[in-house]
Amino acid sequence: MKITILYGTETGNAEMLAEDITASLSAEHEVECRNLSEMDPRAFDPARFYILVCSTYGEGELPASARPFAEAVAAARPDLSAIHFAIFGLGDSEYAETFNHGPKRLAELMAAHGARQVGERIAHDASGGDLAEDLALPWAEAVVAAARERLGEAA
Amino acid sequence: MAQAGEGQRGGPAGRIAIVGAGPAGCYLAQALLRAAPGLEVNLIDALPVPFGLLRYGVAPDHQGTKAVTRQFERLFDRQGARFFGNVTVGRDIALDTLRASHDAVVLAAGLAGDRRLGIPGDDLPGVIGAGRLTRAILEHPDADPLPDLGPAPLIIGNGNVAIDILRLLSKTPEEFAGSDLGSAPGRWLAEGGIGAITVIGRAPAGRARFDPAMIRELGRLSAVRISVGDRGGDADGPEAAARLAALAAIDGHGAGPRRIRFRFALRPVAVEGGARVEALRVVRPDGAEERIACSAIITAIGFADAGLLGRDGLIGAAADAESGLIAPGLFAAGWFRRGPRGTIPDARAEAQALAGRILAALAPDPGRAGAAALAGLADIVDWQGWRRIDARERAAAPPDRVRAKIPTRGEMLRIARERENAS
Ligand SMILES: Cc1cc2nc3c(=O)[nH]c(=O)nc-3n(C[C@H](O)[C@H](O)[C@H](O)COP(=O)(O)OP(=O)(O)OC[C@H]3O[C@@H](n4cnc5c(N)ncnc54)[C@H](O)[C@@H]3O)c2cc1C
Ligand SMILES: Cc1cc2nc3c(=O)[nH]c(=O)nc-3n(C[C@H](O)[C@H](O)[C@H](O)COP(=O)(O)O)c2cc1C
Repeated sequence: MKITILYGTETGNAEMLAEDITASLSAEHEVECRNLSEMDPRAFDPARFYILVCSTYGEGELPASARPFAEAVAAARPDLSAIHFAIFGLGDSEYAETFNHGPKRLAELMAAHGARQVGERIAHDASGGDLAEDLALPWAEAVVAAARERLGEAA
Repeated sequence: MAQAGEGQRGGPAGRIAIVGAGPAGCYLAQALLRAAPGLEVNLIDALPVPFGLLRYGVAPDHQGTKAVTRQFERLFDRQGARFFGNVTVGRDIALDTLRASHDAVVLAAGLAGDRRLGIPGDDLPGVIGAGRLTRAILEHPDADPLPDLGPAPLIIGNGNVAIDILRLLSKTPEEFAGSDLGSAPGRWLAEGGIGAITVIGRAPAGRARFDPAMIRELGRLSAVRISVGDRGGDADGPEAAARLAALAAIDGHGAGPRRIRFRFALRPVAVEGGARVEALRVVRPDGAEERIACSAIITAIGFADAGLLGRDGLIGAAADAESGLIAPGLFAAGWFRRGPRGTIPDARAEAQALAGRILAALAPDPGRAGAAALAGLADIVDWQGWRRIDARERAAAPPDRVRAKIPTRGEMLRIARERENAS
């Protein structure tokens, strides 16, 4: 399958995790990994599966590298109804009231333009006991398997 | 542009020394090696251990914030950066020696000194800087002993550091579960007998510098009773509104034994006392003076240079301090460059821009010695040495802690020197 991993980060944790997911999926799939800040919202390709990895900042907002993307989506209003994506979130339960709100917002933004979410959004907690990759790598395998069915054999 | 990863005749594509392995130095090394994997990047730190204020500033109960160290572990494990711990530039090796042996040197040495109040009595015993106090609580190997704060300390300052200190002084032992607070500072906090803490800001509450999330976190403390005094005037804008809303939400929180009182728009004019601090004299917005009794004063009003590099002179005479250029081949980053403002996210953003400027200006000279210039120094702790210290600290962690920090330099050096498989 053709997979694009897109990360939204501010202190680099999401970028590191995106690299790990890329490395783990690359044996069996054609994977590219990019910063969300470099993604043109009109360039989504229905033949690809998109895996978003995004953290949370400020008062539950998007991290710096995801903000230009969100603005571009709002401006371009792309039709994403043929696009399939999965999303993995990073946050910190020290910020109890806004825990993992960044990826939640990003998922809502994608859905608002018609994109279809595959699998559950996982919320990693920087103050918790799990390493992000221990949660994300099995999750990525599972969402890719689910996406294969949705995207059909063409993918 | 030549592929930066490949130096001429198989040598590195340039040799860069970074003084200070805190967030600024580590993010810079990460950005440099991403852009040019063939560089030789040598991170030098005065401490035997890396990560600067991530280890010795960021609060022990904010482990999530410290999690970026995992990226820095990769920097040394996989990206090829080298660590030279226990080397103080300006004492163990001259800055000029480093400059002669590297194509570029970056000063990312932070600002470890506490800014003084600058009012009469600010040097009385019992006036304690936030840096000095947090280093003691976080078991920095060069820290002063844990001070006596008495039953009613007063904190001056309205930034996140002031709120960190307030929270640490207010927590119960149980509330440190999952932290890396050490056993000695843990006992000191538990047995300190603090009954009341007053936090004073110069500005009105709307212009305080703390993040609302830091204030909201206080609303989860179990052993406190919080009151927020007069906000000191109206405030404009959404940020001020968020701050005031957070303060309103914690006003009246709790019925515990420790009383926390926030007061705003008070200008300190004198510290009073004899053998030690007894009170702070302040001026209220209406011009009236007030004497606030206290058993200690913790100043959290910013940081200043206390190092050996002559920072203020270098930055003052810099070719372009804003962009981090001090002189050809000499750069500055992090708090050393910009002063004591800015967070860990800022350090990463700055590093990415600075890495580009350094690489654009780099003119590698294959004749430079690079790391070999450090070879003769005694007791250098390399990355494997830190790995041994780190492993020991994690293994020694009690059940409700993530690590037990080694508090002394001598013990750190001893563990770093042990052979990996020796018992
Ligand atoms: C108490 C406190 C709590 C904080 N909490 C947070 C937080 O929760 N979140 C956040 O985003 N930011 C926080 N900050 C801010 C954050 O720590 C800074 O933005 C950041 O650490 C600045 O990094 P730096 O690398 O410039 O300096 P530092 O982290 O201070 O690193 C400088 C390094 O240089 C070394 N050094 C100094 N002199 C020499 C020399 N002559 N030779 C060799 N090495 C030398 C030092 O040992 C040190 O390791 C906090 C700051 C403080 C003071
Ligand atoms: C200033 C700041 C604000 C944050 N705000 C939130 C928040 O509101 N909610 C949350 O879940 N996490 C929050 N976080 C935690 C980050 O999302 C978490 O550390 C994450 O691992 C960072 O990933 P990144 O390095 O890819 O940006 C915040 C972190 C910082 C430094």
